[in-house]
Amino acid sequence: MSTGKYLTFALDKEEYAVPVLRVREIIKIMDITRVPQLPAYVKGVINLRGKVVPIVDMRMKFGLPAREYSERTCIIVVEVAVRNSVVMMGVIVDSVSDVLTISTEEVAAPPDFGGSKEGGWVEALAKVKGHVKILLNLDKMLGADSELIRAA
Amino acid sequence: MPPSVPDPHASDSELATLRGDPELARTFFAETFDHLGSIEASVLALEVTPGDPKALDEVFRPFHTLKANAGALGIDSVEELARHVEDLLDRARSGERQIGYAEVEIVLAAVDLLTSMIHDVEARLAGRDATDFGPKRAAFISAIEGLGDTIRADRASAAAPSREDDARLGPETAASGPRVDGSNPATVKVDTRKLDSLVDLVGELAIVQSMIHQDPQLQGRSNERLNRNLAQLLRITGELQTESMAMRLVPIHQTFKRMSRLVRDLSRKSGKALELVVSGEDTELDRKVVEEISDPLMHMLRNSVDHGIEDPETRRRAGKPPQGRLSLSAYHKGGNVVIAVADDGCGLDTDKLQQRAVAQKLFEAGAIPSEAEIHALIFRPGFSTASEVTDISGRGVGMDVVRRNVETLRGRIEIRSQAGIGTTFFIKLPLTLATVEGLILGVGDQRFVLPTFSVRESLRPAPDRIHRVPGQGWLVQVRGDLLPLARLADLFGIGGAVTEPSEGVVVVLEDDLQCLALIVDELLGKQEIVIKSLGEALVSISGVAGAAILADGRISLILDAGGLMTLQRNAASRAA
Repeated sequence: MSTGKYLTFALDKEEYAVPVLRVREIIKIMDITRVPQLPAYVKGVINLRGKVVPIVDMRMKFGLPAREYSERTCIIVVEVAVRNSVVMMGVIVDSVSDVLTISTEEVAAPPDFGGSKEGGWVEALAKVKGHVKILLNLDKMLGADSELIRAA
Repeated sequence: MPPSVPDPHASDSELATLRGDPELARTFFAETFDHLGSIEASVLALEVTPGDPKALDEVFRPFHTLKANAGALGIDSVEELARHVEDLLDRARSGERQIGYAEVEIVLAAVDLLTSMIHDVEARLAGRDATDFGPKRAAFISAIEGLGDTIRADRASAAAPSREDDARLGPETAASGPRVDGSNPATVKVDTRKLDSLVDLVGELAIVQSMIHQDPQLQGRSNERLNRNLAQLLRITGELQTESMAMRLVPIHQTFKRMSRLVRDLSRKSGKALELVVSGEDTELDRKVVEEISDPLMHMLRNSVDHGIEDPETRRRAGKPPQGRLSLSAYHKGGNVVIAVADDGCGLDTDKLQQRAVAQKLFEAGAIPSEAEIHALIFRPGFSTASEVTDISGRGVGMDVVRRNVETLRGRIEIRSQAGIGTTFFIKLPLTLATVEGLILGVGDQRFVLPTFSVRESLRPAPDRIHRVPGQGWLVQVRGDLLPLARLADLFGIGGAVTEPSEGVVVVLEDDLQCLALIVDELLGKQEIVIKSLGEALVSISGVAGAAILADGRISLILDAGGLMTLQRNAASRAA
């Protein structure tokens, strides 16, 4: 974990961060085409300028209570490394907050989650000006979901 | 005679030049495989007219170029092998020896070995383990030397590649670069990925174009200049789309040429005299189809030789010429391309197939299935693999794979067979894989696209035509046939759709064996759509073949008839 720029977003009361270099774009929530036979948190696919991009609802993925999408609801389109390729996926978040530079000193390794699968989703915790940001590992968190779409 | 270049030391130094220049390496591989392909085709032509110096030249020239290229890049093992064959061919050019069956065999074997060796160079370059071709090369070289006494050992084993080679070519052919043939228009080589992304972009352009066209803000306007420009945009986009699709089309002759080689090998192995008649090899198809159709074709030809063509004795008794006749033809028919694979063998034995099907409980004992239904049996996985069905239905082995491959290309396969006369397979393929004609269906608040090739008909059923049968689910009567009926909304778990079957529209899907009546809310239209794969890779969500971007920019899923049938069967068996 080194100093770098992160995009932060809010989900419920927590703030999360993903490396800004992995973010392709941020779009307003839009119509999503449902795809059958997928877990409920995979909302479906959207057309991103001709590319078919699968969309994951982060609230549902994290087991948080559902909330109506609002004006502030966004889809963050990120790059996820799966096996040897990079695929684009969108995550629905409550709102996008900021781009922050997080330095090594501000980062602490995540506490041990006892090997649960969600444990791998968290790369580290950062404390920026007294606020905790949860740094996510996109590949571990979404890699398996992109596989769902590829090979459900 | 041992090869003059020892393998273990050669492997690394051989890669030095290629490693430094990936672009060069790519070009070298592409060109070399091109050369090997054209050698194979030309040598088969040469076998027919052995004395023709022009035909001989067609074989010699690519070998020479290949050898020279390999030499220049320091791939000594390839250069050495190619040189031995070149020597052999050169002696034929000078009239010192005749090209006969054995020589053609040698050249074909050389093509195979060189192909493996070049693949190995590619693999090594990618960091994978090397294969040791040393023994094979040694065996091959001694086979060449064993061919004729006219070859003097000292000449064949001359260690240093002779640089005066080019003199042999004569001044007018010495240049080994690409030849500009008067008959061929000038061409450029383009990376297929660039081509694909161009086709993608043009597809998007077409979508945006139609979005602008249908924009409510513009609909009401009657500005003549604007309308004229929009019409112009529509026309140009359409032409651009046609042109870019056309760039993906290639003639199928390369694949057909490979089949000539296969039939020649099959003839030798099976001891049956065979003749392959090819027609329509200039017919153009999507590049991917041309590549992917090769395996199924090989499989079918092999089956035809194994199980269709009788041995010469049987053929004589049946009053047929001793030489078995296979034919391969390609032609356009109604917006599709048809490839027909025919043999003049014994035909499918419908009686045996039917007995077998009854034994395997695929048909009821007293049932009278149609001929088409019986023929379609050979496409069933696992059908007729049993050892006692030998002469006819060994065809079933692997035909299910053939059908699957064809269906992946969105094609259909049909059989026409007559006992004692022969069997013909018709493979119907779409012209392009990039677009498909689809029916747009509405279910609840969702829309789906159903490719028209899998739709038999659509109708609004009268309530008394719909029956609920315990243990079978719903059935609908269509023209006397009782078809299984399913709601798309149930199969995909969609809320808010029409619940009463008679209030919806029934679309009858068919593949070669079965039909399914699918209830949807409404038919919204028919449209040519650009196909996208889901999530940038092949999907195998059952019932879904991919995604399409409709004119309003939204995605709709493309339905897959076969997958829906499986879903329906599973649902019915769960309910039973």
